[in-house]
Amino acid sequence: MKILTLDLIAFGPFTGTILDLSAGAEGLHIVYGPNEAGKSSALRAVRQLLYGIPERSKDDFVHPFSRMRIGGKLRSAEGEVLEVVRRKGRGGTLRSADDKTAVEESEVERFLNGIDAGLFAVMFGIGYEDLVAGGREIVRGGGEIGRLIFAAGSGVADLGAVAEGLQTEADALFRPSGQKQKINEAVGRLKQRRAELKEAQLPGQDWVRHDRALQEAVEVKALKEAEFAEARRSLSRLQRIKEAHPVIAGRRETLKALETVAGAVLLPEGFAERRSDALTRLRVAQTERNLATANLAGLSKAVSELEDPSGLLGQAEAVEGVHQDLGSQRKAARDRIALETRRNTLRTEARQVLRNLRADLALEDAEKLRIRKPEAVRIQDLGAEYERIVTRIDGTREKALELQQAHAAAASRLESLPKLRPVEELRRRLAEAEEKLPLEKQLAAVRAQAGELLQVCSRSRVRLGLTAAAPEELICLPAPSLETLRLCEDRWEGLERRLASLAEEVRKTEVELAETDRRMEETRLAQEVPTEADLAVVRDARDWGWRLIRRKLQDEDVGETEVVEFIAGCPGAGSLPDAFESGLRKSDEVSDRLRREADRVASKARLLADQAALRIRLAALRGENMGAQAEKEAAAAEWADVWRPLGVAPRSPREMRQWLSDFKALVDRAGEALKRAVEAGALAEEVDGCRAALGLGLQALSEPVAAEEALSAMVRRARKLVEKEDGIGRQVEELARERERLAGELESARSRLDTLEEDHRRWQRQWEQAVQPLGLGAGTRPAEAGAVMEELKSFFDKLREAEVLQQRIEGIDRDAAAFRAKVAALSNAVAPDLAGRPAEEAAGELQRRLTTGREAQSKRQALQKQIGQEQARLSEAEIAVAEIEGRLQAMCAEAGCKSSDELPEAERRSTRRRQLEDRLRQEEERLLLLGGGSTVAEFIREASAVDPDGITGEIEKLKEEIERLTAEKSELDQRIGSERTELGRMDGGDKAALIAEEIQGIIGGLEQDAEHYARLKIASRVLAMAMERFREKSQGPILKKASGLFSRITCESFEGLRADQDPDGNPVLVGVRKGETETVPVEGMSDGTADQLYLALRLAGLEHYLDANEPLPFIVDDILIKFDNDRAAAALQALAELSKKTQVIFFTHHRHLPDMAQKLIAPELLVIHELGV
Amino acid sequence: MLKFIHAADIHLDSPLLKLDAYEGAPTGEIRGATRRAFENLVQTAINEKVAFVLIAGDVYDGDWKDYNTGLYFVSRMGRLREAGIPVFIVAGNHDAASTITKSLRLPENVHVFPADRPATLRLDGMDVAVHGQSFGTPAVKTDLARSYPPAVPGCFNVGLLHTCATGREGHEPYAPCTLETLREKGYDYWALGHVHRREVLLEDPPVVFAGNIQGRHARETGPKGCVLVSVDDAGRPNLDFRPLDVVRWEAAAVDVAGAENGHDLLDRFRETLSKHLELNPDVLTVLRVTLQGETAAHDEIMSDPERWTNEIRATVVDEAGERAWVEKVKLRTQPPPAGDRKLDGAVGELLALVDELAGDSEALGSLSSELADLEKKLPREFKEAAEGWRPDDPRWLKGLLAEAKPMLVRRLLQGRGDE
Repeated sequence: MKILTLDLIAFGPFTGTILDLSAGAEGLHIVYGPNEAGKSSALRAVRQLLYGIPERSKDDFVHPFSRMRIGGKLRSAEGEVLEVVRRKGRGGTLRSADDKTAVEESEVERFLNGIDAGLFAVMFGIGYEDLVAGGREIVRGGGEIGRLIFAAGSGVADLGAVAEGLQTEADALFRPSGQKQKINEAVGRLKQRRAELKEAQLPGQDWVRHDRALQEAVEVKALKEAEFAEARRSLSRLQRIKEAHPVIAGRRETLKALETVAGAVLLPEGFAERRSDALTRLRVAQTERNLATANLAGLSKAVSELEDPSGLLGQAEAVEGVHQDLGSQRKAARDRIALETRRNTLRTEARQVLRNLRADLALEDAEKLRIRKPEAVRIQDLGAEYERIVTRIDGTREKALELQQAHAAAASRLESLPKLRPVEELRRRLAEAEEKLPLEKQLAAVRAQAGELLQVCSRSRVRLGLTAAAPEELICLPAPSLETLRLCEDRWEGLERRLASLAEEVRKTEVELAETDRRMEETRLAQEVPTEADLAVVRDARDWGWRLIRRKLQDEDVGETEVVEFIAGCPGAGSLPDAFESGLRKSDEVSDRLRREADRVASKARLLADQAALRIRLAALRGENMGAQAEKEAAAAEWADVWRPLGVAPRSPREMRQWLSDFKALVDRAGEALKRAVEAGALAEEVDGCRAALGLGLQALSEPVAAEEALSAMVRRARKLVEKEDGIGRQVEELARERERLAGELESARSRLDTLEEDHRRWQRQWEQAVQPLGLGAGTRPAEAGAVMEELKSFFDKLREAEVLQQRIEGIDRDAAAFRAKVAALSNAVAPDLAGRPAEEAAGELQRRLTTGREAQSKRQALQKQIGQEQARLSEAEIAVAEIEGRLQAMCAEAGCKSSDELPEAERRSTRRRQLEDRLRQEEERLLLLGGGSTVAEFIREASAVDPDGITGEIEKLKEEIERLTAEKSELDQRIGSERTELGRMDGGDKAALIAEEIQGIIGGLEQDAEHYARLKIASRVLAMAMERFREKSQGPILKKASGLFSRITCESFEGLRADQDPDGNPVLVGVRKGETETVPVEGMSDGTADQLYLALRLAGLEHYLDANEPLPFIVDDILIKFDNDRAAAALQALAELSKKTQVIFFTHHRHLPDMAQKLIAPELLVIHELGV
Repeated sequence: MLKFIHAADIHLDSPLLKLDAYEGAPTGEIRGATRRAFENLVQTAINEKVAFVLIAGDVYDGDWKDYNTGLYFVSRMGRLREAGIPVFIVAGNHDAASTITKSLRLPENVHVFPADRPATLRLDGMDVAVHGQSFGTPAVKTDLARSYPPAVPGCFNVGLLHTCATGREGHEPYAPCTLETLREKGYDYWALGHVHRREVLLEDPPVVFAGNIQGRHARETGPKGCVLVSVDDAGRPNLDFRPLDVVRWEAAAVDVAGAENGHDLLDRFRETLSKHLELNPDVLTVLRVTLQGETAAHDEIMSDPERWTNEIRATVVDEAGERAWVEKVKLRTQPPPAGDRKLDGAVGELLALVDELAGDSEALGSLSSELADLEKKLPREFKEAAEGWRPDDPRWLKGLLAEAKPMLVRRLLQGRGDE
């Protein structure tokens, strides 16, 4: 098959790009496209034309899926041609060349030798990546021939990876000695679960065994329980009897003892205690009585032995008074010494002060020195006045000095001021100039307005296209009137409207005509409708035939050339009758069709008529249009004439209406400008006059005047001059005033100083007088006089204090004499033995004796109180003794005794009787308890029947029995418990069932994995077998071809290829160096060489295929990018060689490749295409 | 009005076969299915207040040895005793083979017919006579029904029999009998067991296989349960089937003829799935999915069957959640008929080789040597159970080869032609 054209109608970046691949026998077509030219899209288009556009196509970036189209024309080896369009979709994507009629997919498949899309891509396509993958695969596979041949024959570059992939996947599922593979792992799990299942299943006999054991144990336990109860009962009875035996014996004893105290009186409770209490209390009362009597005797004796201090006690108050005075006497004596010392000290100090003041005077004469109060006050007042006077004199002197200096300074400043100039004339002229000053501003404004107006005029003029420049000229220009304008405008508009309506009519008619044409075309496309003319033609032909036949039938002479001509007019006819028949049939057909399609014929006729009418109308309209145009041009010429005088080329009247109004405005502005210029001249004259006057004033003061100076500047300068002179005048006045004021003040300060000095002299006289009494001279300062006065005051203070102390010492001496007289008088009265003792000692002794007397007095009173108490105690004891003796007599009567001595015996017997009766009752109660329901008498009889000696043995035996039974029972309980537990575990649970389910799950999974494993293994095996078989069949021819190609592509760097054996004896492919016997294993080849080896193998495989099969185009995608130039050239030549057998379409981005090809390859083999969107 | 239940073939604790748990499969829902179905039986009897329950054999699975199963059965019978419902049982071939039955003590409301002779049991206070005979050995080849006693006059007579009847495919030919024999007995109802597919053999008197109560593998499809029989006052029995199963097996055959690609095919499957889900709204449905028909997607799915199996499972997980389970996916699609043009070249050689091998059983046999290692390693119970493992069967190998072919071609030409 060969692709004749590839029509990229709407695909990828292409719209309507056609690749003409028809040239050459088969042809090497190099399709060059720079980046972005759509090379890849074109490459895809080749395949997708044949096999359909995939669901998720990327080539929709310009044309959406629904619009995508690839067209193509194919030619089979037999020369059959098919033209199809491929669209994108889910089914029925193939259409005929008109993109309408569906075409069966099988139509294209017939061209494809049963090669499907995948196989086509692999076998009949090679790209750069395939080349690299193939080269790598060769090196990796170590040149294993089977693989290489298969790869060459199939185009599968990564055959090794496929084979290994199968093995790897199978290995992941299962390995004979593995553990972790999916299947190995599942088998392991299955075994484990099987063991668990066995463990979890409960065998039936187990349950039965445990159930039976439980039943037995329960029964035996019931028996043992009964035995146990009986033994417990017997034991209890014997234990009771054994316990009762001693009680029965005791009871007998009690009864016997009771007989001995049968007659005893039963005394009430507490009798003995009462008796014993009475006796005790009697003894206590008797003892009390004796003690009181003895005490009374002792106390009376003590009272009689005490002495009587009543005399001293009578003078107690006097003694205490003396004793109190004693303290103050002692203190006064101590004070007197201190007072004496102080007095002496003061006198000595006074003497010293006096010595300092007046050494000539004795202490006694000191009174002369005392000054009177008024004198002292006067001295103090004068001291104060002195300070005041001195201060004022100092202040006034300083002030006078300051005033004198200020006066001198004012005078010198007045001297230094400049001379005043006369400015009155200038002041007057300045006032006049200031009045005229606004005129200058007005002048500037008028001039600016005039300038502005002129500028506007000039701009408008240029815009209006006028040549006249000056305003005076503009005013005079002859513009057309508004009326003229209106008339022209009406005429223009009328013409425009007519032209527009004609154009619209022409357009409508053209549309109508196009629509009629389209409908005609539609009718024609639907099927050519025959016309009456067609019928006439075929009828003529038929009639001609008939005429020929008729002539023949009538044996008339018929020209052979005419017959031949007639027959030639009927294709397919061999003879005259045939041709006539064909003509007859045709005419019938046409007339039939005319009849059958009368409607369509009629409509076609109608359309034809419409078409003609429309064409005529169109021509008329066009003529009219031309007339209107000419009229319009004439009007335009007239219009231009109107404007010629102005020198203006007019536009349309409507536009010129605006022009005219603009022109009027321009003329107005020009007039205004002229008016402003006149105004400016008048103003300028006035201002200049004013300037000259002011200039004269300035010159008078010898100020310079410039001709160009503006009036406002001159005014400013004159004003500044006048102000400056005024300032100097004011300063002179002020300084003169200041100087006069200072002279006045200085005068008054000097007179005040004189007055103060007179005051000072007066004070000096008074002061001399005042300090004389102090013995001080006139030069004494007020402070010195103050100090002397202070000394004198201190001297007289000390003298007065010494006098006070002297008076107090004399008082103390008087008090001491009075005390001594008082003590002597008291001693004489109460203690003559003390006469002659010092007063203080006597007073102390008297006090001591008073204290002793008082103590004896209180002791006597205490003894007499004790005597009273003892007498009361004695009488109480005597009453108690009598009462107790009466009570004892009553108790004797109760107990039937004569005296109280007999009472204890009576009490003992009573108690004994009571005790025995209690014991008997207890014993009988005990027996009743032990009797277990029997009466005491019955139980005693029953117990007596049992031999006391044998009873212990019986009891021991029973106890042993019970122990044995208890152990047996416990053992049975355990057995029952364990059996119940066992049975409880067999609870009908579903553990085993769940494990069985799990096992089923594992088997289910295992089944799927095993199946998958089997598929992989079988696939792997089949692939190996296929490789081997293909190698056997094709190794020879493919290797031979590949060898030649390899040598060629490597530029004979290698001589070829050879089958060899590797060290393990496996058949491998090796390269053979040129002219040598040396071979190069594939591992020893560079990457590039390995790629070239792969290319050689692929081309060889393809050629081998083509030897026996119809060709299909071989699509090559830029495989030479890594080849050096020589090898690329060689490879291109190899491809050119291949293109003799099948079409080769080589896509490339590289400009040099088509150039190179053009140089190397015969033009009849090579076609270069350039892609551009 | 008399009401009773007829059930059979309970096969307690026999597991559901080969449910390989996959990602998202509702594993919890399939656990203990036979027990839960049996629970449903007991509950139905109590709810319906039936007079008695008939079990026509095969309470247990023959080779199941866990006595817990028996204890569980006893506990459920205890519940019926509490409800005052007697149970009549004939032992079937599986029960006879079972070690569990030998020593199990059944509650007094459960009556098991003797194996040495046919017997008639009467129900206290009711005019009902139940006739039956148990299997004494696993394989009873004689016609037991023939020696069943004649009908008791004035009673509603029920015949309880474990039998293959006139023979049913897939079931052992035990205690065969003819309908004639059964009819001649003059009973009012024949409660049969042994055949797992529910079937009414005769309308009058009703001769009925109740079928098993829970399907256990892919061939036991559809609802499974018991027959609730109501006898009206004229003595005419009315039959009402009550489903008891908790897991329902269904064969989901998906016709994929004309599907353009794998995704079309999944859409077709989704339709089939939703039909099944509608049909069985209350139970977990276990599907055996079979894709069949000529489709352009054949090569696509056969080149990676794992992936498409998982796609189908994932579809079920998405669409049905816990309500369905895919037991197995069988890819039985065919490629569209290809032209008979012979391909040349290496790939052509490969295809030719596959076709050649497929037609040569000796060559196929030699392929199985590839599987010898695995064969040695696989445990016995797997080989017994697996339909998908027959390395000595040339037909199985041929099938594998047919599946391997597109896989191989796809791998060789992977990713080409549609870039």
